[in-house]
Amino acid sequence: MFHWLEKHPFFFAVGVFVTIAFAGLIEIVPNFAQASRPVIGTKPVTLLEQAGRDVYIKNSCNACHSQLIRPFKAETDRYGHYSLSGEYAYDRPFLWGSKRTGPDLHRVGNYRTTEWHENHMKDPKSVMPSSIMPAYPWMFTNNADIDTAYATQLTNAQFFGVPYNKPVPMKDGTTTVVKMANSLADAHKMALEEAKEITAKMKDQDVKDAVARGEIPEIVALIAYLNSLK
Amino acid sequence: MDFNEFAAYAYFFLVVFLVVVTYSYVYHLYTKRKDSSGVDYEHYSNMALKDDIGDTPVKPVSKSEEK
Amino acid sequence: MENRPLEYDYTVAKMFMLTTIVLGIVGMTIGVFIAFELAFPGLNTVLGSGLAEYTNFSRLRPLHTDSVAFGFTVSGIFATWFYVGQRVLKVSMAESKFLMFIGKLQFWLYVIGVAAAVVTLFMGYTTSKEYAEFEWPIDIAIVIVWVLWGVSIFGLIGIRREKSLYISIWYYIATFLGVAMLYLFNNMEIPTMLATSAAGETNIGDWFHSISMYAGTNDALVQWWYGHNAVAFVFTVPIIAMIYYFLPKESGQAIYSYKLSLLSFWGLMFVYLWAGGHHLLYSTVPDWMQTMGSIFSVILILPSWGSAINMLLTMKGEWQQVAASPLIKFMVLASTFYMFSTLEGPIQAIKSVNAIAHFTDWIVGHVHDGTLGWVGFMIIAALYHMAPRVFKRELYSKSLMAAQFWIQTLGIVLYFTSMWIAGITQGMMWRAHDEFGNLAYSFMDTVDVLHPYYALRGTGGLLYLIGFFMFAYNIYKTMSSRPVEESELQNASPMGA
Repeated sequence: MFHWLEKHPFFFAVGVFVTIAFAGLIEIVPNFAQASRPVIGTKPVTLLEQAGRDVYIKNSCNACHSQLIRPFKAETDRYGHYSLSGEYAYDRPFLWGSKRTGPDLHRVGNYRTTEWHENHMKDPKSVMPSSIMPAYPWMFTNNADIDTAYATQLTNAQFFGVPYNKPVPMKDGTTTVVKMANSLADAHKMALEEAKEITAKMKDQDVKDAVARGEIPEIVALIAYLNSLK
Repeated sequence: MDFNEFAAYAYFFLVVFLVVVTYSYVYHLYTKRKDSSGVDYEHYSNMALKDDIGDTPVKPVSKSEEK
Repeated sequence: MENRPLEYDYTVAKMFMLTTIVLGIVGMTIGVFIAFELAFPGLNTVLGSGLAEYTNFSRLRPLHTDSVAFGFTVSGIFATWFYVGQRVLKVSMAESKFLMFIGKLQFWLYVIGVAAAVVTLFMGYTTSKEYAEFEWPIDIAIVIVWVLWGVSIFGLIGIRREKSLYISIWYYIATFLGVAMLYLFNNMEIPTMLATSAAGETNIGDWFHSISMYAGTNDALVQWWYGHNAVAFVFTVPIIAMIYYFLPKESGQAIYSYKLSLLSFWGLMFVYLWAGGHHLLYSTVPDWMQTMGSIFSVILILPSWGSAINMLLTMKGEWQQVAASPLIKFMVLASTFYMFSTLEGPIQAIKSVNAIAHFTDWIVGHVHDGTLGWVGFMIIAALYHMAPRVFKRELYSKSLMAAQFWIQTLGIVLYFTSMWIAGITQGMMWRAHDEFGNLAYSFMDTVDVLHPYYALRGTGGLLYLIGFFMFAYNIYKTMSSRPVEESELQNASPMGA
């Protein structure tokens, strides 16, 4: 019986496939429905935050920074409450990372500010004298891709049922609604409103001017996203 | 019986099944020197050692057996 | 039709040998560069701040991993397949115009795919999932290349003269199936061009942008099921296929136990796929899956060592060959490194060890002793063995090869020792508390301490890269060295001084 398999390439291939597919079937499939339920207080990202998340991905920030706090005293002391599965319910893709060349960022919004991020992204050594993180000067001149971020929001809402424009329960018992624009023009307006709130706390004059002109540099979107990580 | 319970049973019996298959394979390999077509297993190494296009195959594909 | 004896046709093998070497140089050069960026951050702006976007560590890191995995290694797999496949099935590519066409088509599509991948990654178009960074149009190109390879495999098998499939062919088939399954499932994504706004607008933003079908924890689970097993089916399974052919052939020794090779094959196929969970220990995936990942990782030692020991014992009674031939040295050290990293991996997968090792450089060290020592050395050895046969010339220089071996070995040793120390040091410092229960070190403290190890690691990588250039030069010169007779090519490869 075994030998027969070795001489019939097609059935051999089927045999190999069944053997390797087995683990995936057992491990991954049953978990799918359970893990995607959001915990109370998890809300989808706004348009500008989405654009910032795209900047984060574009520059592979996840190559050096994790977004996963493990349940150890050392980690909760350093970064805050350990991560819960439901907090990632709207994360597509997930950004846990696999290497901490720099610190974890899952709750960075709790302890870093817009001003800090601005200084840090422009020149990391100005806030962390021995930092080995490179500077990201192009984020201050390149504009964020609001169009693609908006398309991402639409896709999330249409294909994956992410609750935009719907009440989401918060920890204090209230509900909140994350708005999504109706049209592209509307989206640009919304993103600009959000951007102005960020730039009010920034000091780079070129960035402020750009936002006043109606452009949104990548750094503004990125800071909006980092601030939303709580 | 909910899905999880079903999965657990399915998992258990699949593991038992695979253990049986694996061990019968081990038993088969180590009790028989030759396979069902009469070739000593260890001679299959010659497929790599004598692999010029003119060399005789260890077990040639014969036209009559072709599927 | 002219009347001459049938010969194996290595046209496609030669093409992929070229991309193996070129992409190896590209990937490893980037790797050495970004290694030094960690030690000397000033290198991030080495071409000025205007171009900093393209010389930045974070932008280059996926380029490094993808060009060594999908460039160097996958090219090596294809090159050896188009060589080994013909020989152990005793059928020539020249016998089928169709398979020849498919092979060449596969090569050119592959080259186009690689070019597209390099450009898009430089520009920052990435899905962020490790080793699956490409956006969907490139994914589709990759799938086509892969299907063409499948046509080659099963096409060649279909016209074979040898009825049984040699163990290497088993491993190539498994590579084909495994990568196909993993790649397809991990890259399930919805292109954003399909979305429509309430105002009816479509095609908003980049047309090639897409969103993962899975969210959060599920996405992580699928990604590391993929990520871990991509390592299995790109860095392990096809490399075993190579060593099962090239070591016996070069040494003239039959495999120590062919039966053991069959048994290890099924063992490896079954066990490997379970172990992906060890990338997610202490994360938010269910506990039982983490434990399963841990346990199966330890079990994985058995089939891995089954293959590795089988290889080492193949040299039984013939150890003088190891001393005499640098080519055999490469392969013996490769299987030794295979044993080494398949022991190290399970150790890191033990939960309490992982608590320290995860997120540190120890993991980076582990990957590299596998890839540099096992994958790199085996592909280098395979190409050295193939070169005299595809060019019908003797290898240019044995002494250059020996020098390369020792330089690269030293490079690997520097690499993994520095990363061990770096990883364990940092892991321990992260978790250290003082007597009042406060954290003993700031994050910055744990980075400062790594500087010498990063410099050492860069040096190790540089040595390996230098060795790789020696390899490329040696192969290049082989193309014009002394022609050899067919009879000299039976086992040990002919080498010049």
